[in-house]
Amino acid sequence: MPDYGQIQVGAGTLDARLVLGLAFILFLLGAVGVLIRRNPIVILVCIELMLNAANLTLITFAAQLHNLEGQLFTLMTMTVAAAEAVVGLAILVDIFRVRDVDDIDELSELKG
Amino acid sequence: MIVPQIVFWVMAVIAVLAGFGVIASHQAIRSVLSLVAVMLALSVLFLLLSAQFVFAVQVIVYAGAVMVLFLFVVALLGPMRERASRRLRFQWGLSVLVVAVFGGFIYAELQGIGFRAPDKLDTTVFGTVQQIGMGLFTTYLYPFELTSILLLVAAVGAIYLSRGGRTASEVRRQEDAELGRGGPSQEEDEIA
Repeated sequence: MPDYGQIQVGAGTLDARLVLGLAFILFLLGAVGVLIRRNPIVILVCIELMLNAANLTLITFAAQLHNLEGQLFTLMTMTVAAAEAVVGLAILVDIFRVRDVDDIDELSELKG
Repeated sequence: MIVPQIVFWVMAVIAVLAGFGVIASHQAIRSVLSLVAVMLALSVLFLLLSAQFVFAVQVIVYAGAVMVLFLFVVALLGPMRERASRRLRFQWGLSVLVVAVFGGFIYAELQGIGFRAPDKLDTTVFGTVQQIGMGLFTTYLYPFELTSILLLVAAVGAIYLSRGGRTASEVRRQEDAELGRGGPSQEEDEIA
């Protein structure tokens, strides 16, 4: 049985498990960042990092399966990420207009 | 041929180092610039995995437009020093624990991964602009149009949120006036 995990890249091959491992590491880095950082802008940046890791996974499987749907879905993910960044940053600017926040935990007025 | 492996390892090391830079820098601007480095490294990997169009979009739209937006906001809000929080300090250990458990689950999944056979073996034309366009405008026309609506909603929402409002000094001034403390001090006027 052939190893389908080897992706044809030009004349050589690349193991899909390596690329998936890289995406895994980047996603975990982003998750750690969202949980431990307190600067709201950095938290948005870490969310972008996790989205990029997910995009890498989609592209990897698109190449492994020779199926274009992964790449098309990556384009949609990028659109959603751009929309999320725009709205998130607009909310941040709106908050900063009223008060200076350097710790996301200070924004606790909405708790019950 | 060993070239794909070399390219992959170089870009993987750059991406992971820059990823550490994203979460470890003390200044927001360094986090944003590290993320740009991650995105450029990933874009090379996209090219390696025969996603030419996604590579171009990643560089132009993502590393170009979206990250410039982040840089603008960082420049607009000024430098923020992140100090150790007085509250919710137990979160640090707890979050590391949660991520470790989550990472363990994904790692276990990666160990037992089984790859399906490719859908078709013809890789001569793959990921070109032509193929992407055919996919977006025939099979996936409705999702494509829905993303356009999403972008429109996001643009309108951003304009609504960031339309002219009161600045922090104006709010302070009004609160002072309500408390009958008179106008702002000379010092505040100079800052404004």
